[in-house]
Amino acid sequence: MIELVQQILNGLAIGGVYVLVALGLTTVFGILGIAHFAHGSVSMFGGCLTCFLAVSAGLPLLAAIAAAMAVGFVLGVAIELLAYRPVRGASHINAFIVALGLTMMVEGLNLQLFGHEQVVILTGLSRVFEIGGVTIPELRLYVILAAAALIASMTLFVERTRTGQAIRAVAENREAAILMGVNVQAIPLIVFGISTTLGVCAGVMVGSLFAIAPGIGEWLVVKGFAVLILGGLGSIPGAVIGGMVLGVTEALAAGFVSSAYKDLIAFAVMIAVLLMRPQGLMGKA
Amino acid sequence: MQFRPAYLALAAAAVGLALLPQIIVAKYYLHLSILALIWTIAAQGQNLIQGHAGYVSIVQAGFMGIGAYGTTLLGMHFALPVWLTMLLAPFVTALFALAAGYPSLRVKGRCFAIVTLAYNLVIFIVLTNWTSLTHGEAGITGIPKPGGPDGWFDFRDRATFNCLTLILAGAMTGLAWLIARSRIGQTLRAIRQNEDLVGAIGIPAWKYKLFAFVAAAAFAGLAGAVYAHYQSFINPEVFGLAQSLDAILAVIVGGSGAIAGPFIGAFFVVFLPEYLRFADAFRLIIYGLALILATIFMPRGIVGVASDLWARSRRGRE
Repeated sequence: MIELVQQILNGLAIGGVYVLVALGLTTVFGILGIAHFAHGSVSMFGGCLTCFLAVSAGLPLLAAIAAAMAVGFVLGVAIELLAYRPVRGASHINAFIVALGLTMMVEGLNLQLFGHEQVVILTGLSRVFEIGGVTIPELRLYVILAAAALIASMTLFVERTRTGQAIRAVAENREAAILMGVNVQAIPLIVFGISTTLGVCAGVMVGSLFAIAPGIGEWLVVKGFAVLILGGLGSIPGAVIGGMVLGVTEALAAGFVSSAYKDLIAFAVMIAVLLMRPQGLMGKA
Repeated sequence: MQFRPAYLALAAAAVGLALLPQIIVAKYYLHLSILALIWTIAAQGQNLIQGHAGYVSIVQAGFMGIGAYGTTLLGMHFALPVWLTMLLAPFVTALFALAAGYPSLRVKGRCFAIVTLAYNLVIFIVLTNWTSLTHGEAGITGIPKPGGPDGWFDFRDRATFNCLTLILAGAMTGLAWLIARSRIGQTLRAIRQNEDLVGAIGIPAWKYKLFAFVAAAAFAGLAGAVYAHYQSFINPEVFGLAQSLDAILAVIVGGSGAIAGPFIGAFFVVFLPEYLRFADAFRLIIYGLALILATIFMPRGIVGVASDLWARSRRGRE
């Protein structure tokens, strides 16, 4: 029983990371219909940059994270403007190929700037709480809390602010949004900026919980998309539930079945959900 | 009209490639040419689902892996002759694709890409971790070449193997052409343009999509099998995500939907990274940038640009 609770808790931490990745992907997909495959590599870039700023430039960790998030926002805006905007009108395959090209470029950039070595973000948070036999590393708790705070603020932003309203309007009906005076040229820039910032946060979490190594970006974005499919495309509650389901499934699979096959089990769950509910757990039929 | 220069180019390329061993001395280029021909088979399959039906599938290299391991393991465990296992490989792969395609084709459009990507990862995980069967990352060595030392042809000779891959690539290109111009090909292109309409006039679109997916897998299975017997060594690494992306690139860079497209694209994805070797660490960045620029400025691929130029030059002459 204690083992079960322990694994679920582990799953929630990694699930939080997945939710952050998926939130960025799902808003981009909802608004622009783009499968932004470079998202994982960009997150990895954010994690590496944070580590670089904290270690080599000597910034305090929180300042380094904030700076990386700001760089992430600018990078997201640049990606939309330079890479995706020129293929806006074309078939969705073209946008996807651009996404693949971007992935290669960002991966190459990461290798150039940060090298092949794996990167660990040292947080200095090493205390371990113990409640009723369940051990909770401090770091994991903070990751869960930070993820929850980011998810909550993202939800508030989309639901309560005027810009958020405009984003939802464009997602629902682009033409009607234009007629209502929404600036449809600016919305994609904001969406890309915010989702890349969230991706950077996810990268920082991966870097502090595990390690960032070449190839991890791919792994991250695939998990993000799996969450999207699980939860339902373009749905924020879907991304949250899907991320948690995926994280917990993986942790349970790793704890009770086999850690080599945990990804396989997670994908099997995804495909099983797809068979029963093709629109995802929270998607509209 | 648009296809005539393509036929000419294809015929010229086939003759050129057959004579290739006589023209070039460097064994290395012959090696690359064989690889590119193998990739042509896989890319022709990819073109059926991606170019014609308009569904991006990211599992082509994974299916090549199933074909490669299929032929190897059938040969190892059942002592079947090489030609037979090579012939069986595409069918084995097609069976896997049939099982995988049914649930994944329930999702439309972009999500399909991600589901197939998950398949590729699953195949990769199984190939890497089921060590008792696949020997894991270390891979399997000593895969026999077809024909054997006392057969009619000695396929250990690269020039001979080049001919074999050329014949196979030609045959599979022909098969892809037959499928493309048949009613099935027509329906697939209709699905690309308007899937709802296809459904509305009473055509079961999912059957056609499934056919395209399974056929693409069979092409990949054959390509994988040829690859295994050519290299005599396989490990999971060459059947990963990056290679599946190469198959997609081959189709889009060559020109999706056109018959010569995958062929040109396959040579592009095999040779360009080699030429970019001088750029070393910047290779990935240049490759990615080239891809983005190509998609923005020539979305119909090399074949599209060539046929535009051809049309313009004809107009100029008249």
